Amino acid sequence: MPKPRTIAFITPRFADGPTVGGAETLLKTQARYAIENGIDVTFLTTCAQNHHTWKNEVSPGTRVVDGVPVEFFPVDENRDVETFHAIQQRISRGLDVTRDEEEAWIRNSVNSTALCEHVKNAGEHYDRLVVGPYLFGLCYEVSRIFPDKTVFVPCLHDEPFAYVKTLRSIFDSRIIMFNSFSERDLAKRLFGEAMAKMPVVGMGLRPFETDASAIVRELGIDSPYLLYSGRRESLKGTPLLCAYINTFRERTQRDVKLVLTGTGHVDAPPALVPHMHDLGFVAEQKKHDAMSGALAFCHPSVNESFGIVALEAWLAGTPCLVHACSDVLRRHCRESNGGLWFRYYGEFEEQLMMLLDHRDIATALAESGRRYVLENYTHEAVSANMMEALKT
Amino acid sequence: MKASIFDIGATGVDAAKIVDSIRETVAEKMRQGVYTDARVARAERTNLENLRDEEEFHSFYLECLRDAVSVDISDFDILERRLRFSGLFVALKKTIWKLLKFYTYRLWSQQNLVNGLLLSAVEGTENGSRDRIQALEARIAKLEAVVGKDGTAACPSRGP
Repeated sequence: MPKPRTIAFITPRFADGPTVGGAETLLKTQARYAIENGIDVTFLTTCAQNHHTWKNEVSPGTRVVDGVPVEFFPVDENRDVETFHAIQQRISRGLDVTRDEEEAWIRNSVNSTALCEHVKNAGEHYDRLVVGPYLFGLCYEVSRIFPDKTVFVPCLHDEPFAYVKTLRSIFDSRIIMFNSFSERDLAKRLFGEAMAKMPVVGMGLRPFETDASAIVRELGIDSPYLLYSGRRESLKGTPLLCAYINTFRERTQRDVKLVLTGTGHVDAPPALVPHMHDLGFVAEQKKHDAMSGALAFCHPSVNESFGIVALEAWLAGTPCLVHACSDVLRRHCRESNGGLWFRYYGEFEEQLMMLLDHRDIATALAESGRRYVLENYTHEAVSANMMEALKT
Repeated sequence: MKASIFDIGATGVDAAKIVDSIRETVAEKMRQGVYTDARVARAERTNLENLRDEEEFHSFYLECLRDAVSVDISDFDILERRLRFSGLFVALKKTIWKLLKFYTYRLWSQQNLVNGLLLSAVEGTENGSRDRIQALEARIAKLEAVVGKDGTAACPSRGP
């Protein structure tokens, strides 16, 4: 197929200001690549901003945000949240769920009838529908309208929801666009050999300038700190990180602080609170400054399909400490030599001690990581990959 | 001479080598009981789900729990920030603490007992399961040695 002329990108939320999520940022960046390649792009999304409440907070209609034309549609407000949570809890515990229950779970997930109707009516106009991530009723419903035109960006993790049988049909879409080879390996294991032929695209990053001392000055920190950026929730491993740093401080008597950026509540041990700086949602520049001043960027999540913030940390000149159970992050660290991976506390303690006592190693790791991002994740290279994938 | 993991070569560091070396150090320290610590048990609470397939980690975690199983009722430094009557306030707080300890004795001593019993039960189950799995693995290995791993010896060839 020749280069598509019109594409609709579809996510449940649009990445703008504090409405941040890896998948949303990724699809927005990919939409910009398409625009730069002369494609007529429309971004379809909902009026929701908060991924807990899913309330319609933005007014519906069409606006241009950061150079991307976006159409906002209201989220259905008639969902049975109680049924949704009850089934979701059973799925996340790995309990057996019937096909009817799976369908009820999807039906009561985040949906937008208005957005689906728009796709049904105007779908013929688009050459491709780029949809993701996989975990939402809206994305599932949209993927079933024109499967032959759908390019699904699943952002798949090895979690109980990936085993929901009803969601398998998503992977019958025309193209599945993965973010990393680890994610594609997982899909191959779960959905068969056909996945091995699907493209790996991901997201490119541009180098940026940083001021490593800006955050140190602002917070008055006089000791090294670990940084975490992103959503703060148990699925992302933030309680684990807080518990590890607290134990590290108690056991080693070394003064290492924890700095956090992003949204969500942080549940930290009381003894850590005076040594923790929660900056909340910050502008990109401030996040990058915080990254460059850190001893290391710690990514304790095991649920990653790409790990944008780890790549950003490398660009900011900082090494990473990641959880070994995340295939994606471990693979990035192994291939780049830009970070270390831990399975349990003992390894975390030793690795952090090493970074504290051997700054030359920390610098060498950071340099290797930066080189890896600059060689493999430039906008130009990723954009070219994406355009090639969309022609399939 | 064996190269140190801290040597940085022309092409930079080898992260996998550093991780492997640290794992060896940690394994040795675990054998010495360096991490058998109630604080480590508490820190690992949210990591259990990630490491559900790692049998050794569960044994180690149970060892740490032995250290964390009792309610901490030991005395601690009682301080007073107010300058006036600080001696009086400290004495009052110490009395309250002693009374609290005395009147909750039945509660925490029973809690310690229950925690200890539960941990023993979990350890018993864990050891029992491990023994059963080892016995089954040995039996499978024995059977495979007799019939061949692909089971060919057990299936007589069919005629045309």
